[in-house]
Amino acid sequence: MSEKNELLFEMKNIEKIFAHVHALDHVNFDVRKGEVHALLGENGAGKSTLIKILTGVYSKDGGQIFMDGKEIEINSREDAAEAGIAVIFQELSLVPTLSVYQNILLGKETSKFGFISDASEKKQIQELIDRYGFPVKATDIVETLSVAQKQMVEILKALATEAKLIIMDEPTASLSSRESELLYKIINQLRDRGVSIIYISHRLEEVFNLSDRITILRDGKNAGVIEKENIVPSEVVKMMIGKEISESTASRALHTSDAETELEVKNLTHLGYYYDVSFQVKKGEVLVLTGLVGSGRTEVVRSIYGADPFDKGEIIFEGKPIKPTIKKSVANGFGLIPEDRRTQGFSPLLTVTGNVALTSYDKIAKGGFVNKKDEDALGRKAVELTDLRPANPNVQVGNLSGGNQQKAVLGKWLTRDLKVVLIDEPTVGIDIGAKDEIYNIIEDLASKGVAVLMVSSDIAEVLRVAHRIIVMREGRIIKEFNNGVATQEDILLASSGFVNETKEAA
Amino acid sequence: MKQMRQETLRRIISLVLLIVLTVVFTLTTDTFLSWDNITSMLREAAFIGLIAIGVTTCIITGGNNLSGGLAVGMCCMIFAHLYHYTAMSLIAIVLLSLLGGLLSGLFNGFVVAILQVPDFVATLSTGMIFQGITYVLAVRNQYGSITSEMIKNPTMAALGGRLPNGIYYVTIVWLILTVVMQIFLKKTKMGTYIYAMGANRKSAEYSGISFIKVKMVAFTIAGFMSFVAAMFTLGRNGTCDVNTGTALNLQAISAAVIGGAAFSGGRGDMIGTLIGVLFMQVLRNGVLKFNMTTAQQSIISGTIIVLMLVFDAYYNEFMQKRTTRAAALAREKENAGK
Amino acid sequence: MSNSVKNNPVVKAILGSSRILVLLILAVFFTIATKGTFFSYKNLVNILYSVSLIGIMICGACFAVLLGGIDRTVSGNAALSGAIVAMTILNKGVGGSNVALAIFLGLGAGVLSGLIHGLILSRFNIPAFLLTLATNEVLYGFVQLVTSNTLIYVNGCTLMDYIGQVRWLGIPIPVYIMLACILFAYIILNHTVYGRQVYSVGGNRQSSELSGVPARKVILIAYIISGFMGALAGFVLSSMNQQASAGQAKNYENNVLAAIVVGGVSMRGGSGSIQNAILGAFLIGVIENGMNLMGVPSIYKDMAKGIIIIVAVAMDMANQPGTPLNNLKRRLSKKAA
Repeated sequence: MSEKNELLFEMKNIEKIFAHVHALDHVNFDVRKGEVHALLGENGAGKSTLIKILTGVYSKDGGQIFMDGKEIEINSREDAAEAGIAVIFQELSLVPTLSVYQNILLGKETSKFGFISDASEKKQIQELIDRYGFPVKATDIVETLSVAQKQMVEILKALATEAKLIIMDEPTASLSSRESELLYKIINQLRDRGVSIIYISHRLEEVFNLSDRITILRDGKNAGVIEKENIVPSEVVKMMIGKEISESTASRALHTSDAETELEVKNLTHLGYYYDVSFQVKKGEVLVLTGLVGSGRTEVVRSIYGADPFDKGEIIFEGKPIKPTIKKSVANGFGLIPEDRRTQGFSPLLTVTGNVALTSYDKIAKGGFVNKKDEDALGRKAVELTDLRPANPNVQVGNLSGGNQQKAVLGKWLTRDLKVVLIDEPTVGIDIGAKDEIYNIIEDLASKGVAVLMVSSDIAEVLRVAHRIIVMREGRIIKEFNNGVATQEDILLASSGFVNETKEAA
Repeated sequence: MKQMRQETLRRIISLVLLIVLTVVFTLTTDTFLSWDNITSMLREAAFIGLIAIGVTTCIITGGNNLSGGLAVGMCCMIFAHLYHYTAMSLIAIVLLSLLGGLLSGLFNGFVVAILQVPDFVATLSTGMIFQGITYVLAVRNQYGSITSEMIKNPTMAALGGRLPNGIYYVTIVWLILTVVMQIFLKKTKMGTYIYAMGANRKSAEYSGISFIKVKMVAFTIAGFMSFVAAMFTLGRNGTCDVNTGTALNLQAISAAVIGGAAFSGGRGDMIGTLIGVLFMQVLRNGVLKFNMTTAQQSIISGTIIVLMLVFDAYYNEFMQKRTTRAAALAREKENAGK
Repeated sequence: MSNSVKNNPVVKAILGSSRILVLLILAVFFTIATKGTFFSYKNLVNILYSVSLIGIMICGACFAVLLGGIDRTVSGNAALSGAIVAMTILNKGVGGSNVALAIFLGLGAGVLSGLIHGLILSRFNIPAFLLTLATNEVLYGFVQLVTSNTLIYVNGCTLMDYIGQVRWLGIPIPVYIMLACILFAYIILNHTVYGRQVYSVGGNRQSSELSGVPARKVILIAYIISGFMGALAGFVLSSMNQQASAGQAKNYENNVLAAIVVGGVSMRGGSGSIQNAILGAFLIGVIENGMNLMGVPSIYKDMAKGIIIIVAVAMDMANQPGTPLNNLKRRLSKKAA
């Protein structure tokens, strides 16, 4: 078994600096031949930066990369491919109207006088498929395949280039559990054939089952490397979080429980997305839905707002059941800060005023005509309320930084008399300073009696703003924590499916 | 269960429509299925078909070509101009017309791929330029006004002829080119790249396929087809004027769309377009047999395009909804099983 | 230049807009090239008169373009409306109530056509360019049916004579109608909730919908306005010519498109203004007029228009990162730096 321990790939003292911040600080990472090696870390720990360096998207600012013992430079995707590194993308990169074998060989066809040697290509790919026993045919058209099968085609594409190292980034995110099982089988098969795999996933359970080794990153630094036999879930989670932070979290003041219930959801179900979701949000309370991406949190919030339908259950607002539509929700004093602000949050070509005023024309227009004075005042008010910079309401929102764009989106609703605000991942891609300001805004809203329902995956953020925390997993509520009782560890374990290991909620 | 692919469904629909139309016209008129009518229909179809070959190729790349018919006029006029004003040999004139057709394609490719003007707007504008060139080259009488030029060359006139069994040469050339292009699209590297570029530009470029090259090839093919159509137009009419070819565009696009090409790209092929062309021609011919006016024809053909567009959009929406719903229900089943 | 001159709003507007600058340069050029004929009062009125129809159409079509769509049926709507008005008057007589009926039917046809387009385009994800290309064909089919493919002369209709021939202060009535339409479009786009919604939906439909903007209704109304303006232009055209024909207004949609893109209204939607679109129309009108005066054959005008559209759109696209022209621009500016 000496071959098993032979190193295939090694990164030494990798450094990457973005605007004076060390995104990667002397990180070491290596992969053995025929090994499944998981890369763990919270959002922002440096996983994706590391992967981007080894696939040639970013170039490193320091350190060395070795493949088969020889030092290599990876400055482009082509370099990475040449070195035998392939990535299975989260967003599939296949051509839907071509067949499996055409996709696998796209750009690399063997041909005579421009004519593709079809028969031999078909045979070659079918042999490759048969070798691994994948349930697809070389001649299948890709658009007729399921998501899991498409992913297999991606893997085949990597194998066809004789890749020695395959990177899988959240490969099970859009698979059902049966499809995931199949993928695990395939991964084991690849390992047995000597292919090395770097596996990235938020689902700790599958990581622990699959991997031979785990490398953990935290804040751009190595936090530890663990062999399979030494894996203890709670220890791993502790390494991911870092002790010093987890102690300082449980500090939120208890929420006054005598406030009235503003919004209540009873047994809300949208088949295939979420099931039997029930909770209450009181006036002035911040309730956070957390859990992994795809656990149904966003869908619940969108249904409450009226942007998506639901199948069963009840939504009760101020004691009366409502059938939400977006129009009614806005009139009722609801506001939505959507998940992806670029595509759903704002019109990039409009000014801050133009975006902010969009929700308030019922207030600042008469007979369809806009009162420009009121409109400008509204824009200024939004800038003031959110401390938006530059403090000019006439800038196009598309030209602002991420944090200020989000403030403009917040401004849409802050300028109205809000009763319920639904906030979905408000600080993704926003720098730390602006994050704090956004938290302050949310706290401010709550203190004014607004019921806040927020969705977040950032556990530090959850603990920072939440009065109450609900953890969702696979469309169901699996855990509810009251104010200040939960730790990062509890939440992370609960979202990953280790419910039994968390302590009981108070 | 595997879902039926969009083009398969569309092809079945268009074939059924073609058969229904043929049956209706055969039953309601006496002359529809006569050999004479069939050969003359196939001759007319060939002209639409040649342009449709080029248009289909452009549509598969995710674009379109509104200048095909106008390029026909330009190629005709290049020929007529040189024939009238110079003493060049026939071969040289034909080659220069060919050059005109190819250059029209390259120019389209330049505007679309390098200047990045959206295909519709680009080819609309280049069409205006081609027509301008047609006017500039137009043959004039001694008073300076534009006249239609008679071309009395026997070789050219022969192009308008037919086989002893009555089938016109243009029909044969059209069918041959259809087969050649079908093989080109399905069996060659560039053909595969054309599909890949239309269906998923990002992934195609990621595989090292050049957007500029694919667009250039597609438009140049379209330019070549315009040239072929131009030569046969001269053969049939023995003359050309500034309006030659202008009516072909919309019919060619309709034929491509009816045959399964989708404007989102990556779909359609020459067999589908062949069915579409036959459909358009049968419709036109049958409508003529019912003594319908050109007005009624354009209303009917325009309405058909609109219906096809709406069908396409609705079908895509429906399939997308069904797929997400099916995935959701599959997840639900698994969850219930737990 | 002294500060007071620099701060003069007129000077500021001229320096701030490349279009006005180009227009002025063209005017000076044509004035010199035509030895002053271009700048004569009569010719300037001529330009206004010839731009007026396109101007009315733009006041409708720019709504569709601002929403990221396009409406090529402005010409078909104009032809149909003109034909219906002419036929109604011809059949029913030139009297007052008949004229009202004729106008009602003509403009109604435009509104109906706009309604149908709006319903289809707001509901389905269909390229507007292609849909309206096909429906314009259908509309011209109807025009041929209505006119039976003949030229229809309308004589003795007081209102149409008035619009076609009378001048106020030396300026033909159609110019005033255009100005009224511009004012209408300007007010709608700049001072009403609907105008705000048009820009917002054109810029980002999803975010607008989540903010409670009824995007479908916004699109529907835009195409109705466009249909109405097209029909109005058709009525004015028939009044100017005292006739209606099956092919009238044909290819006007290309002029409208050219004017709008030259006016800097983005074909991707969400940005641009009616003032600039009208300026674009004047730019093209001035070029056409100047070429006419200089004796350039009319055949070059279409070519010029084709080139102008390509250049205008290419310039807009060159601002998009990742395009070949944009890469070239960046490489050049890097070299310069």
